Amino acid sequence: MVDQPLWEQIGSSFVQHYYQLFDSDRSQLGTIYSLPFPKIVHSITVQDHQPTPDCNILSMVVGQLKVDDDPVMGFHQSFLLKNINSAWVCTNDMFRLAIHNFG
Amino acid sequence: MVDQPLWEQIGSSFVQHYYQLFDSDRSQLGTIYIDESCLTWEGQQFQGKKAIVGKLNSLPFPKIVHSITVQDHQPTPDCNILSMVVGQLKKFNRNIWEPKEEQSILDSRSGACVKQKKRAPQYNFGCRLA
Repeated sequence: MVDQPLWEQIGSSFVQHYYQLFDSDRSQLGTIYSLPFPKIVHSITVQDHQPTPDCNILSMVVGQLKVDDDPVMGFHQSFLLKNINSAWVCTNDMFRLAIHNFG
Repeated sequence: MVDQPLWEQIGSSFVQHYYQLFDSDRSQLGTIYIDESCLTWEGQQFQGKKAIVGKLNSLPFPKIVHSITVQDHQPTPDCNILSMVVGQLKKFNRNIWEPKEEQSILDSRSGACVKQKKRAPQYNFGCRLA
């Protein structure tokens, strides 16, 4: 971890924390996540992190998720992290399922 | 278009312009980037306009066609615009997918067309590639 740039460390820590919360108790993520399924598991395939000119961190995750007993689905999610009062918060979040990607 | 928020207009115009350039003459993509720009291409990091353009010009296919499935745009607190595209690549050179290059794709995760927020979905198997 020592050799990783700061944005990689912060980005990957956030991603790990986010999906851990999401899969165990997503009520802790705030009221926006009032989604209609009790159980979900995320598996991260890859993740990328970059610093932005405004000293934020842009993160992108490609992975798979499984809801209840439904088949596995792919997803893409992007986050923008910002440091506010010494805490890293998520100011932007974009999520897409990789279904209907038939071109 | 009149009823769309500004960030939707700017974001979708940019996305259209970007893929139009990429598919017709990607050497012109330099106009989009500045020295503070970053590109992550299938896990490889590039910093600055010169390095980014160098990578895009060195991709091992002469022609490619992007097809956008969906796109999302948001304003950010610093008055920037965050955009994400999910789509497909078409009409790529079949040589890209020969076993030798597939192996290098598996090892270094390069080759499949990716830009910032895109990843080749066929490698999304839910496990880390060796």
